[in-house]
Amino acid sequence: MADTLIQTENLSISFGAHKAVNNVSISLEKGLFTTILGPNGAGKTTLFNLISGLLKPTEGKIYFKGTDITGLSPIERVKMGMGRSFQLTNVFSRLTTFENVRLSIQAHQEVGYKMFTDYRKFKSLNDKTHEILEEVLLKDKKDFLAGELSHGEQRKLELGMVLALQPEVLLLDEPTAGMSIEEVPTMIDILNKTKEKGTTIILIEHKMDMVKALSDKLIIIVNGAKLVEGDPEEVSQNPEVLKAYLGGGVLNEPTT
Amino acid sequence: MKLLKNIDKKTFIAIGVLLVVLSIVPHLAKLSTITLMSRIFILAVYAMSYDILRGYTGFINLGHALFFGSGAYIGGILFTKIDNTMGVFVLAVIITVIYCSLAAYIMGKIVLRGGGVIAAAMITLALGEIARNTAERWRSVTMGADGLPFKIPDIFRDRLGFYYYALIFLIIMTIILRQFILSPTGRVLMAIRENEQRATFLGYNTSKYKLIGLQVAGITSGLSGVMFGILNRFANTDLLSVQQTLNALLITLVGGTGTLYGAIVGSAFVNTVQNYLLDLRSVHPIFERWLLFFGAMYVVVVLFMPEGFVGLWNKYLKDRRTKKNSRVFEKGL
Repeated sequence: MADTLIQTENLSISFGAHKAVNNVSISLEKGLFTTILGPNGAGKTTLFNLISGLLKPTEGKIYFKGTDITGLSPIERVKMGMGRSFQLTNVFSRLTTFENVRLSIQAHQEVGYKMFTDYRKFKSLNDKTHEILEEVLLKDKKDFLAGELSHGEQRKLELGMVLALQPEVLLLDEPTAGMSIEEVPTMIDILNKTKEKGTTIILIEHKMDMVKALSDKLIIIVNGAKLVEGDPEEVSQNPEVLKAYLGGGVLNEPTT
Repeated sequence: MKLLKNIDKKTFIAIGVLLVVLSIVPHLAKLSTITLMSRIFILAVYAMSYDILRGYTGFINLGHALFFGSGAYIGGILFTKIDNTMGVFVLAVIITVIYCSLAAYIMGKIVLRGGGVIAAAMITLALGEIARNTAERWRSVTMGADGLPFKIPDIFRDRLGFYYYALIFLIIMTIILRQFILSPTGRVLMAIRENEQRATFLGYNTSKYKLIGLQVAGITSGLSGVMFGILNRFANTDLLSVQQTLNALLITLVGGTGTLYGAIVGSAFVNTVQNYLLDLRSVHPIFERWLLFFGAMYVVVVLFMPEGFVGLWNKYLKDRRTKKNSRVFEKGL
């Protein structure tokens, strides 16, 4: 088995009486493409928020690369090599597409608090930005304001911004949410390329074709607790999963 | 020279012509006009400092006059207590820079601890009022509500000469602030304005950046305060009041928020209108209530051009460019 990159121990968070995440202990291995699956409201995004530091757990611990990061801020977690995208599009809408990605690279390269050097003079940053924009197929849109892009393009931009951080682990929260069906294959393509580069990807997803094509491991979460984890084929045959996640249906049914 | 490379030829010529005009005009104008224009230049710098916060960082500071008034008082107090010489002026500038960066640091540490934009605005309002009250009570130094008249260095006494100093001050500060906005740090401030949460998840320590923004704005504001004090040869507690902060807010609103140059246009417009309305008092007594008309002007501006003059101009340029592009596109077909 590969090295464990992220590990959670009895992770719980409650909002009032509601336990959104309940005693979740999972380990996410380096180099494995792990998909977290579960019905709406199961606590998948909350789990991401806990791992990335947006929320503080009420109980339990989170380890990243063997260090306890439970008390660290999101900023410190990003610096350790954790990048995340958001389910709802979260870009700098009144800045250009280019600038969105460039800012991301600037953050990664630790330019520091330079106050009087022109930002356009950092050639390596600009070159890198072009590379990333090419990777996420937004090269011709670079001078558009991010807010003017179509929804699908904004999702790609969002992904580009996380890729620009060159994280060791990529937490992707439904990168294809709200995308049209025609755009999904390009997204899968981009993710496949990222995976080949050796980045560990943790994905939250609903679209079954995507999960099947990409995942090495599935984790099913229901009602805030882990139901089952393992090999995609194995898990998708598990009767408990079929019952909880699909209400008794078949996992191989055509995607909607 | 490096700076000029970034500006295209047309803009370069336009700025050149503007500068030539601005350096000839005072020789033909009345003394009151010269004073008005000096005032425009200085308040433009003050408004630009406010734009760094509101327009670029998305931080509403209702205590911004704290820096402006402090600058004027620091100049005034030093000229009175020590001597009105150039040496003291340099000392006043140095002390203002140190004082304002410290004050901004403290303000930032209190305000940026969390909470929303509104909570931060309210705290800055309170801090500004504390400064104003202190100035009012500390009679032995500030002369309290009477205000502090003071002598200024001889070199600044000539109104015409001071006009040029004010103009140079505006040019230098515009170049510095423009560089700041174009720097990596300035870019991060814009990212924070757009979406602070996202900036955090790119790994930016957003409070640190906001603190830098506040310090730059505070120092700029303080320096414009020193110049404003010298222009009026007088400092009073009004310079520290919320009213003074709102002046900056309104100037940037009229000129265009988040454009930097908008502050210059806004300052020219607001001060000219204000001056004109004050002159009308001798025409009809209703203009004793000139603030009524002044307020109406703001309402009109906000209703019909919410992006201000510069915003309107940028939009016009963009529309024209799109039209040109589509024409080229049609020809291509």
